[in-house]
Amino acid sequence: MKIDTMRRAIGLVAVVLPMTWMAGTVAAQMRAANAQAFGVSVNTPTVNQTSPYAVLPTGGALAEDQGQTVAVANFVTAQDAFAIVTGDADPTYGSNAVSSATLGAVSLLNGLITTDGVVAIATSTLGDGLVASDAEGSSLSNLIVNGTAVSDPAPNTRIDLPGVGYVVLNEQSATGDGVTTSGITVNMIHVVLQQPILGVLGQVTGYQTVGNIIVGSATSSVN
Amino acid sequence: MFKLRNLAMLTAPVAIALTAWSCERQSNAVAPAIGTPLAHFFQFQCTPFKMTGGGRIDFPPGTAEKNPPASHEYETFGAHVMDQNGDCVADQGALEWVDHRPEFRVNGSPLNLHATAITFAEQATDTDCKDGAAHWGGKLRVQNTGQEDLDFEVWDCDNGEPGVGHDGFAISVPALDYAVMCPDPDLPPAEPTCTLTGGNRQFHPTH
Repeated sequence: MKIDTMRRAIGLVAVVLPMTWMAGTVAAQMRAANAQAFGVSVNTPTVNQTSPYAVLPTGGALAEDQGQTVAVANFVTAQDAFAIVTGDADPTYGSNAVSSATLGAVSLLNGLITTDGVVAIATSTLGDGLVASDAEGSSLSNLIVNGTAVSDPAPNTRIDLPGVGYVVLNEQSATGDGVTTSGITVNMIHVVLQQPILGVLGQVTGYQTVGNIIVGSATSSVN
Repeated sequence: MFKLRNLAMLTAPVAIALTAWSCERQSNAVAPAIGTPLAHFFQFQCTPFKMTGGGRIDFPPGTAEKNPPASHEYETFGAHVMDQNGDCVADQGALEWVDHRPEFRVNGSPLNLHATAITFAEQATDTDCKDGAAHWGGKLRVQNTGQEDLDFEVWDCDNGEPGVGHDGFAISVPALDYAVMCPDPDLPPAEPTCTLTGGNRQFHPTH
C-alpha cells in the first residue's frame, strides 16, 4: 500500500515537475523590456505635438532623439532636449529598461512655470531577485511656479494654477504586479489645462480638462 | 526512470566541462592601450557577454549623491555593447552621452557624444563589480561640432541591484582631453567608474 502511494507520488512529481519547468521557460521566453521618453508633449484640441521622442524598438537596445529647441507657441519653449532609451530582455538573466528625458531652460504658458534644468529618469529591473522600478536621478532645477520657487518637489505634488488648471510636479505612476512585471512613468512637469463648466445661471459647476502639457517624461517597464 | 537518471548523471559532467571550456580565456584581446593605470580593470578575458542600460552620473565628484540640480553638474547616457562570439570584438553596440555641465557646453549646447562604431569589448575579471564588468569602446562623433572618428573607451560596472548607488560607468575621449572617471579606490564600485545616481547597468553572459 505504501509502495503504491509512493509510486503515485513519484508519478505525480514526474508529470508536474516538467510542467513547472515549461512554465518557467515560457515565462522566460516572454520577457520584455519597454522604454520611451520625450522632452515636450502638448495635447490640446488644436495642437498635438511631441518632441523629441525616443522609443525602444522591438529587439533593439538603444534609441535616442534630440531637439536643440522645442517651441510650441503660447504653450512651451524648451532648450537642449534629449530623449534616450535603452533596454534588454534576456530569457535567462532578466530584463532591464532605462529611459531618460533631459532639458535645459524651459518656459511654460508664457513664463507661468519656468525651470532651467529637467531630468526625468525611469528605471525598471528584473533580475538578481529584484523586480522593481524607480525614478531615481530625476530632478528639476530653479523651478518657479506662478512666481513661487519650488525646490525638489515630492512625487505627485499638485499646485493649482488659477484660470489655467493645475500642475503636477514629479508625477509618478507605477504599473505591474511587482512580482513578474514592473513599470513606471515619471512626468516632471504635467500641466492640466481646464475650463470651467457653467450652469444655467452662469455659475461654475465644475471643470473639464481641455488639454495637457508634459515636460520631461520617461517610461520603463519589464517582465 | 533509472536509465534516465543514469543518463543525466553521465551527461551533466560533459555539459559542465563544455560550458567551462567555452568560457576559457582567449588571448586575442584587441583593446587599444589608452587610458590610465588602475587598481581595477587590469585583467580581461574574451567571452560572450552583453551590457545594457543607462542613467545619470553626478561628476564631479561622481559619488552616489546627486549634486544640487541648479549646479547642472551631471551627465546622462545610454549605452549598450555585445560580444556574441567571445573574441573581444563587439558585434553590436551604441553609446549616447550628454554632459550637462555649463563649462562643457559646445556651440551653445551640452556636449553630446554619439558612438559611430563599437570595436572592442572585453570582460574585466579583476573588479569588485558583483554581477560583471566590461571595458569597451570604439569611435564616436561630437554632435555639437561634427568631429568624427574619435577613439573612446568606457569602463562599465554592474555591481548588483538597484543600479543607483551600486553600478558605475566611466568614459574617456583622449583626443578631446575629456574624461568622466572616478579613480578613487575608496569609492565603490570599481575605479575608475563613477557611481550611478540614476538608472542601471546590467551585465549578462550570452552563452
